[in-house]
Amino acid sequence: MKLTRLFSVRKVLSYLLVLSVVYAAYSIYYKIKYWGFSLTPKTVTDVWRIDAKVTFEPTSKNIRVALSVPDGNENFDILSEDIIANGYNISKDEKDNRVIFDGKNKHGKQSLYYRLNIYEDVKNTQINLQKPQKVERPILSEEEQQQMKQIWELARAQEEGNKVQKVIKTVNQEMTNPSMSLVLPLKHTSKAFAEKIIQILAYKHIPARIARAVKLEEGKKTERPDIMLEAYLDNSWKLYDLNNGNIGLPDKWIVFQRGGISLLDVRGGEDSKVMFSVLKSVATPMKMAEHRAKANDKFSEYEYSIYTLPLLEQNTLKWLMIFPLAILVVVILRNVIGVSTMGTFTPMLLAMSLVKTGFIPGLICFSIMIFLGLVMRAVVAKLNLLLVPRISFVVIFVILLIQLLTIIGYRIDSSLVSSAIFFPIIITAWIIERASITWEEEGARNTLKEIFNTLLTAVVTYFVINNETVRHVMFAFNELNIVILFIVMLLGTYTGYRLTEITRFASLAAKDK
Amino acid sequence: MFKWIETARKLRENGVLGMNDRNYSVIAKYNDRSLYTLVDDKVKTKKLANDINISTPKMIGIIEHQYEVKNLVDIVKGYKTFVIKPAHGSGGKGVLVIKDFDGEKFYSASGEVLTFKEVYQHVSNTLSGLFSLGGRYDVALIEETVNFSDVFKDFSYHGIPDVRVIVYKGFPAMVMMRLATKESDGKANLHQGGVGVGLDVKTGKTLRAVLHDKPVTIHPDTGANLMDLKVPFWREHLLIGALAYDMTGLGYLGADIVLDKNRGPMMLEVNARPGLAIQIANGKGLKTRLKEIDEKFPTGLTAEERVDYVLNN
Repeated sequence: MKLTRLFSVRKVLSYLLVLSVVYAAYSIYYKIKYWGFSLTPKTVTDVWRIDAKVTFEPTSKNIRVALSVPDGNENFDILSEDIIANGYNISKDEKDNRVIFDGKNKHGKQSLYYRLNIYEDVKNTQINLQKPQKVERPILSEEEQQQMKQIWELARAQEEGNKVQKVIKTVNQEMTNPSMSLVLPLKHTSKAFAEKIIQILAYKHIPARIARAVKLEEGKKTERPDIMLEAYLDNSWKLYDLNNGNIGLPDKWIVFQRGGISLLDVRGGEDSKVMFSVLKSVATPMKMAEHRAKANDKFSEYEYSIYTLPLLEQNTLKWLMIFPLAILVVVILRNVIGVSTMGTFTPMLLAMSLVKTGFIPGLICFSIMIFLGLVMRAVVAKLNLLLVPRISFVVIFVILLIQLLTIIGYRIDSSLVSSAIFFPIIITAWIIERASITWEEEGARNTLKEIFNTLLTAVVTYFVINNETVRHVMFAFNELNIVILFIVMLLGTYTGYRLTEITRFASLAAKDK
Repeated sequence: MFKWIETARKLRENGVLGMNDRNYSVIAKYNDRSLYTLVDDKVKTKKLANDINISTPKMIGIIEHQYEVKNLVDIVKGYKTFVIKPAHGSGGKGVLVIKDFDGEKFYSASGEVLTFKEVYQHVSNTLSGLFSLGGRYDVALIEETVNFSDVFKDFSYHGIPDVRVIVYKGFPAMVMMRLATKESDGKANLHQGGVGVGLDVKTGKTLRAVLHDKPVTIHPDTGANLMDLKVPFWREHLLIGALAYDMTGLGYLGADIVLDKNRGPMMLEVNARPGLAIQIANGKGLKTRLKEIDEKFPTGLTAEERVDYVLNN
């Protein structure tokens, strides 16, 4: 009956473990999909800040400024939008993606700011662009028609690309050909260039339009966005580079405006212009998560996670979140491997200190402290002090030692010595006390063995928790701690041999009976 | 790796009890935590033992408070030899054996000459918890010394040999004798270098002996042939173990027994979580034995009947 009870405890814990694994797996999937968390510690994401500064001189009482702005772009997600325009009414024209500024009775030069923070997020979804109306052939003179046909003939002779690409290539090649001057751009501006190509494409009923895009370059300032061509072919809008006919938006480009409407429209003002400036900054993935969660309509779930807490609390929790894993390591080392250490969680706390001090300096500094502490403790042992005062002595001695080492370390500029300050005082004192008692009662060999085991466990724990990826995963996917909880509980029912027992009892394995 | 798995499989076949298994399947099941207090306090254990007619070294007195320390001389009046030990000590920590007291100087068993002040200090340290589990406040127990039987004179170097009986559900399950060596410094703990001698539970004769987990046949210091060892008053030894179960209710316990020249076997202490080294000393797995007791041994017997059952089956 007792055996079945034992079996069922194990069984129940196994079920709970499986459930927690399923929950964690779902949660991890959810966080990656909707919050944009990643399994690797990508420390920062590039965030681009684009400022569009509109300036103009007012000429009448009523002013209306319309600025085309990016919508959800192919390559980017919008982090935040900001408009600075004192005394203007702001509205947004969702259909054409324009910001409208309405002002009254303004005098002197006006400056309006539109600020956009975006970050790269490659989405494979096609942006839903409206299907265009059928394009009518432009009305052309006889001569123009001749030249148009000639262009198309040349274009057809091109080897690579679709119709649009072929046209762009041909126009680039024949730019100076006088026999086609009527249909080719006169001025060498990209706007004129694009307009002529639109005309050529219209001749074959291919809808096309101008798109204005800004290339993101650190510290860039420009009055004129770059012009690209967008053409509708085979049932989809595609962007084309006017210089070489390459399809698609190049890396780090953002489209501000597409179609017939202008980039900037100022009514009741003159001398208007828009100035773009680009700045690059960085943000942590956790910071981005909030926006991703919002974008995916999962914000209420996000709000109650640890990632919306103030940074200080987050950092404390990030530190705490690594503890369960360290505890798991200790449990495995003690109950499955069978390493006996001083105190159950002493090695774990030592490992935590090593993370702060750095590995080699920490180990050396700790050894120095233990050595000096043991020497001092041996001297004091002769005084036969009572227990509590004696341990108190060791604690105070350790505090003074830490103080001394820190000062010396600072003076001689050695992080090796000054890392003393990161070791837990009570734990250090306790190790010294315990070691000195073991030394008296069981000799140096056993003491050194115990210290060695303790340090070994601390080192193993250190290597697990000092891994940047491990720390990131335990914080970003903190539901794993529930899995660890059940693993630890399940290990509490492990009745197999510890690894060290296999050697210890080896002589009993040889016999048959 | 494969070798380990193979060894583990053989250990399992031979019924060797591992530490995890002991804690989970035996101690957690049969040793109620509330019973621990009965064996943690040696004064309490001694009283319980006397109630049930288990002989123990006679108590001379106890010192509970620091201000009573100076009463030591009055307490030990008329005794030339006595032992001071912490009531909550373990593994022989803080045990001071006084071989001779001439009214001015104390002569310890390890050959030291101690002044009043030094002995008082020792008692004082004991009270403040220096030797007790977890460092809590303790009581100093003063009892008569054991007159060790000469039977084991050649088998132990400067120390006290004792018999450890593992008792499972009241039945003596496995027995070993622990002998002090030069290395173990008068103590008989195996991990400190004492010799462990596995004894046949039916006869009290040597099965095999180990030193540092390796088989030996002669004592490293005295040269005595360990195979010749035979513990006298064997039934009485086992009976103390069986009675310790009646006394404490612990399903799994280790009783430490010494042989007195005049009074026969006496119980020193009971351990609620005895170690597993006894398996190495006996060359046998304990689990096989526990299983045998679980499955074959009758229940509802008195201590005497249990001992007889073990001796005859």
